[in-house]
Amino acid sequence: MAEALTRRSALGRLGAGVAVAVGALRNPAPAGAQGSSPAFGLQESVQDGLKRVFGGRPIKDGAAMIKLDIPPIAENGAVVPVNVEVTAPMTPASYVKSIWIVADKNRIPMVVKATLTPESGQAFVGVNIRLGETTDVRAVVEQSDGTLLMAKREVKVTVGGCGG
Amino acid sequence: MSSLVPLRCAVLALLVAAAALAARDVGSAASPAWVSRAIPEARGEVKVGPDGKRTAARYKGWPTRDFSAFRTYAYDDARPEPAVQRASAPSGVVGDPTKGRALFLNRQKGPCTGCHLVPGADVWPAGSVGPDLSTFGDRNLPDALVYQQLWDPRVTYPSTVMPPWGAQGLFTPEEIVHLVAYLKTLHGPVPPDPDADRNPFTRRRPTGFGDNLDPTNNPAVVRAEEAQTLWKTPGPNGKSCADCHAGGPQQAMRGVATRYPRVVAEHGRVMSLEDFLSVHAEATTGRGLPSESDANIDVTVMIKMASNGLPVAIDTTSEAARAAIARGKTSFFRRVGERNHACADCHTPERGASKFLGGRFLGDVATGLTRHFPTWRTNQNEVWDMRKRMQWCMTPLGGNMLAADSVEYAELELFLTTFDVGKPMSVPGIRH
Amino acid sequence: MSDIGKIRIRVPSNAKAGDVVRVRCLVIHPMERVERDAQGKIVDRNYNYITRVTATYLGKPVAVFDLTQSVSENPAFSFALKATTPGPVKVTFVDTHGGKYEGTAELAFA
Repeated sequence: MAEALTRRSALGRLGAGVAVAVGALRNPAPAGAQGSSPAFGLQESVQDGLKRVFGGRPIKDGAAMIKLDIPPIAENGAVVPVNVEVTAPMTPASYVKSIWIVADKNRIPMVVKATLTPESGQAFVGVNIRLGETTDVRAVVEQSDGTLLMAKREVKVTVGGCGG
Repeated sequence: MSSLVPLRCAVLALLVAAAALAARDVGSAASPAWVSRAIPEARGEVKVGPDGKRTAARYKGWPTRDFSAFRTYAYDDARPEPAVQRASAPSGVVGDPTKGRALFLNRQKGPCTGCHLVPGADVWPAGSVGPDLSTFGDRNLPDALVYQQLWDPRVTYPSTVMPPWGAQGLFTPEEIVHLVAYLKTLHGPVPPDPDADRNPFTRRRPTGFGDNLDPTNNPAVVRAEEAQTLWKTPGPNGKSCADCHAGGPQQAMRGVATRYPRVVAEHGRVMSLEDFLSVHAEATTGRGLPSESDANIDVTVMIKMASNGLPVAIDTTSEAARAAIARGKTSFFRRVGERNHACADCHTPERGASKFLGGRFLGDVATGLTRHFPTWRTNQNEVWDMRKRMQWCMTPLGGNMLAADSVEYAELELFLTTFDVGKPMSVPGIRH
Repeated sequence: MSDIGKIRIRVPSNAKAGDVVRVRCLVIHPMERVERDAQGKIVDRNYNYITRVTATYLGKPVAVFDLTQSVSENPAFSFALKATTPGPVKVTFVDTHGGKYEGTAELAFA
């Protein structure tokens, strides 16, 4: 966990490579928009979600090419770091076009879609996701020629406890 | 020359007074009571409604049940631990193992699985603080003995950490009969578990949440960095922290946090940095930093970051510090609440430390845990200081919390910090 | 949360032309979750969460994330880019309440 002060960004003196980017807020639109929240359309079963996004297209086993880096046991479901790395070219002729992260048992199972370009250099993405309960987590990869590949792992989510 | 005599007398009088202050039993029940500077939800208050119903005022989202009936850490709470009770099963109740199993797993009760493993794929996650009960029935113990064990295990094991479930009314007599019936059904051999993580004795340890000092990983670092603005902003009386503490917080505050908690003579008590800020900020800038306010915690983290990498260097040798540490140690071993637990029950290796309590891996205070506080809590999306951590523990224990800035908590924190002496600070932490 | 929209971006400081480098960023944001009332019915309101993250390098997109409420509060994201020349890496976050937050970090070469 801890690193020596000289190697880490200390207060007011940022270590090499860490840039502070200050976010600028444009005036937000007033809340209270009419109609259902976008969330509703995305709450579905994982089967429905996969069908909605990929139609009936075949999804091949991508375990050999897809490295799905995810903790086997999540201490809580609020922050589960997921990193996906695909061993595949990233050239204009052939590249990984998108990576979906899917959590089977979530109310919103199609969690996030990452869209890449040849300029990405490598098919690598990471994001912190929420998991409602112990579930399979999948990475579904789409290549520029339309090929679909998938890898999955089970993540056990630890619930409750005296630690809160 | 003659003018020096009154001056020397005055200096001498001051020294005598200071020595008397240091030697005084700082923080004991005899010293003046501390008026809390905490935000309202952190004061440990209990409100009494017009119907006489008592509700506890706690943080948003926390339970509001009042636990006034049970012992707390307050120095003036002279109530003893609940008396050890003998009991036998009520007649006319037939034990139902199915009901017993449901009670065993019920999260509103123990759950018993928090400490004890039993068979079943739905048992997730069981703990290892207590023995594995998967073959308890093979021991063929008399029903009356098992009933007594659940009613009040202290009859058999005087220093057990297991709560006196029946004596404290956490289970009814009928419920205990059902639990006994269930336990009797647990016979070996137990088939090998296809899932090594289900069993807390073979489960993999938690891997943590990565680099705690990386602002692209730990939101608490971002919050503390943003607090630099507060450092420079004048308070209501026109002064800012920067006016007295030149050179920016990192330079001006370097090393300061390594000495906290400490005895603060002018206030006659032990204070953490959070406690000190709650009085110092207002006294100097006119801007209050109440205990447990976001501003107090963010400024605390900011100041502590200026000491990252430096060894914790609290005073443990002065008479006042040693007395306070002794009182904090007593609190650490003091049993409180409906569950009758002490900090030591979970956080010393002889009892619960380095074991699983349900899904939670319990920390061993002897390894030094205070130097990572305040810490980001991923489960809460909040920064927690040591006091909020102590206050929360009261919730599963069934006890009323004291005010965040109470002297009792400060001296307990001081005792815990003795295990960090010489170890490098690394604030803010990041944990579940 | 007055820190909403505060961004931190980490880029390497010693890249070389042709390197594939990894970038990590974090934004402070509540990413509000769907609430249910006491009867279990969904509370119908416009939840505030980030729907899209756009990362560009030298003005060209290198990663776009389309998000849902299944993404964590104060989310962190990682992505890669092929370094060609020193220049800006910009990340933009857009939420359902019209909030638009931008941060830029300079990719420096060795």
